[in-house]
Amino acid sequence: MFGFGLKKRNQQDLRDTPIPEGHHLLEVNDLKMYFHTQDGVVKAVNGVSYTLDRGETLGVVGESGSGKSVTSLTIMGLIDMPPGHVEGGDVLYRGKSLIGMSEEEMESIRGNDIAMIFQDPMTSLNPVYTIGRQLSEGMRLHKGLSKKEALDRSVELLRMVGIPNPEQRVKEYPHEFSGGMRQRVMIAMALACDPDILIADEPTTALDVTIQAQIIELMQEMQQKNGNAIIMITHDLGVVADIADKIMVMYAGSPVEFGTRDEIFYNPIHPYTWGLNRSIPEPVMDEKHPLTPIKGNPPSLVDLPEGCSFAPRCPYATDLCRSTVPPVHTTKTGHYAKCHYCNDAEFVAANAPETSRTRAGRTEAQKGGEA
Amino acid sequence: MADSNILLRVENLCKEFPVDTDFISKRRGTARSVHAVNNVSFDIRAGETFGLVGESGCGKSTTGRCIMRLTEPTSGHVYFEGKDVAAMNKKELKELRRNMQFVFQDPYASLNPRMTIGEIVSEPLVIHDMMPNKDERIEFVRGLLDVVGLNPEHINRYPHEFSGGQRQRVGIARAFALRPKLIICDEPVSALDVSIQAQVLNLLSDLQQEYGTAYLFIAHDLSVVQHISDRVAVMYLGNMMEYSDWKTLYAEPCHPYTQSLLSAVPIPDPDIQASRNRIILRGDPPSPIDPPSGCPFHTRCPIAQARCSQEKPELREVLPGHYCACHFAEPNPIKESSIEL
Ligand SMILES: Nc1ncnc2c1ncn2[C@@H]1O[C@H](COP(=O)(O)OP(=O)(O)OP(=O)(O)O)[C@@H](O)[C@H]1O
Ligand SMILES: Nc1ncnc2c1ncn2[C@@H]1O[C@H](COP(=O)(O)OP(=O)(O)OP(=O)(O)O)[C@@H](O)[C@H]1O
Ligand code: SF4
Ligand code: SF4
Ligand SMILES: [Mg+2]
Ligand SMILES: [Mg+2]
Repeated sequence: MFGFGLKKRNQQDLRDTPIPEGHHLLEVNDLKMYFHTQDGVVKAVNGVSYTLDRGETLGVVGESGSGKSVTSLTIMGLIDMPPGHVEGGDVLYRGKSLIGMSEEEMESIRGNDIAMIFQDPMTSLNPVYTIGRQLSEGMRLHKGLSKKEALDRSVELLRMVGIPNPEQRVKEYPHEFSGGMRQRVMIAMALACDPDILIADEPTTALDVTIQAQIIELMQEMQQKNGNAIIMITHDLGVVADIADKIMVMYAGSPVEFGTRDEIFYNPIHPYTWGLNRSIPEPVMDEKHPLTPIKGNPPSLVDLPEGCSFAPRCPYATDLCRSTVPPVHTTKTGHYAKCHYCNDAEFVAANAPETSRTRAGRTEAQKGGEA
Repeated sequence: MADSNILLRVENLCKEFPVDTDFISKRRGTARSVHAVNNVSFDIRAGETFGLVGESGCGKSTTGRCIMRLTEPTSGHVYFEGKDVAAMNKKELKELRRNMQFVFQDPYASLNPRMTIGEIVSEPLVIHDMMPNKDERIEFVRGLLDVVGLNPEHINRYPHEFSGGQRQRVGIARAFALRPKLIICDEPVSALDVSIQAQVLNLLSDLQQEYGTAYLFIAHDLSVVQHISDRVAVMYLGNMMEYSDWKTLYAEPCHPYTQSLLSAVPIPDPDIQASRNRIILRGDPPSPIDPPSGCPFHTRCPIAQARCSQEKPELREVLPGHYCACHFAEPNPIKESSIEL
């Protein structure tokens, strides 16, 4: 990934081609990525679908091993095949399929049209090259800048992401930077070629909250300036509440619910989303509410339970759930969930957790009743 | 303070780690050290949960390790039930160890992979010569496994056969085997997913209610600490910045650092999150090898004055039971006008 052999600039930048009528910037349709291992077939991504437009932020949440990273790595063409294999589905970027694209084509898309940052910047930064050289590489490769131009632009980028004294810092090596500063460098690197889509895989998980706040603010500022889309992978519901426009909740390789931020937080319809909601401590100041954990553990992806994968842990599971894979129910707004009962308004109303909105509504109603 | 309820008292605890251990630095007298814990004082009452929060490297674990004497403090005192731990004889120390247990962050690394979970959980009993009768001991361990929500039939399995959350339950069962009066929990749920985290937090609360155990609960997740703690303390760069009961600390922090830290935590409720005033601190925390003069927070504090870089603020009782180390302590000291937008 970090070869310094400079290739000629790819002439046709997909980013500059208009999005065909009826298409979105990114469309993921029923994507399936399985790993064929000695222990069996790991169904890591099992039917992921969503759309994303410029300026939008998609939050992807779910427990460890639920397939969040593999989904994005599949889009980027970074999964080793074998053992990986795209079992079905498609990814369209500006109407063009990324699945089955040649490695050469993918290389011009990676870092240029779609850029990715990872949880641990040290694994993505090369320890033996200066920060300036690593920042310059992509711009020389994708934008055809000269060495001098690329270095000047690197200084500018470091300044933009809030690194003090950038003229000096470009000459330094990754180990001379703090964790927060390395993540800033990764963002600078990802944004160097003005990508259409920035995929951030747990970019702040290893950082302290005060530094996390800085990084999130930075990503938002950059998005406002450049209009890029963001895919934010995280297990922190606070982070998605903060920045996501749309949210996909994943469980055991499948998206169990997808909707706008308001739909997921204030009108969730899937029992797993409810369970997550009830598992996190509420930011209350009066009385503490007890947590209601989801019982049990996530299933093995090699040996998924029959029927609904959540059935062994779901308090509402029926015989139907234990025998038949639930269909995807989609509402008019595009809010979807994978559950036998999520389109039953009564079931949802009876079992969905309280939210600050329902609570406020009830207080209002009480006031009205008393008056 | 003549509070008979006080189980553990930490007084002016300091811990320095030498960094330049080479001969030349030592000879020249230029050897530096990490000021991991700097003059920290607080107390823990019997049966309460005392939360300790702060960013990575601020000295939380070192504080916990000094209390357990897993590491020797550079100076300062630790009193357990009124007795100075440093002055204890062998017998008293053994008794102390029985009354203080540790639960670690990493359920993978903290359990011996070659021991069955039955052996792991009963090891403290064996060390302390309790329940010499093996059958009795096995029965007791089976009971403990049941209490922490593990299948007693799995007593002969090995740690690798369990999930992260289950392993953390094994660690908790082991810590409770001797019915200690205090358990130091160092990030016990940080490595777990939220649904499993909630299981373990509930387990800790249930066990506390049952046995009246006090917890020193170390974590960096402020919402988890808020949920589980009676009182909460905030550390920064080895120093105790503030502590009080949880409600006051979260609603009306008197220290600018506590206020900034709380405001940086994103709240999983978009309406509330959007309506909050956020303080975004600039820069990184300074190095504990070369800490700033005066107030350790002055390099990032939005309301720092000239005095702050010269004079170190003492931890003082600003309101009854509410301790804070800032020259300008008052409820929510950073006003909207001083938030950099
Ligand atoms: N090369 C591989 N071979 C076999 N299985 C794999 C491979 N890569 C990933 N997996 C499996 O795919 C599943 C999904 O992994 P993924 O990394 O996407 O999870 P995640 O949701 O990102 O989790 P985390 O929050 O821990 O990062 C996991 O069970 C993982 O073990
Ligand atoms: N054995 C040691 N030798 C040298 N320095 C140490 C040692 N143990 C800890 N330190 C240093 O002491 C400081 C405090 O470390 P400590 O582990 O107590 O922090 P912490 O608050 O527990 O952080 P974290 O949240 O990352 O666990 C850090 O700067 C750390 O690098
Ligand atoms: S399909 Fe059944 S088991 Fe699955 S989430 Fe819905 S109610 Fe629960
Ligand atoms: S003493 Fe000064 S620098 Fe320190 S926290 Fe208070 S106002 Fe800020
Ligand atoms: Mg991942
Ligand atoms: Mg620690």
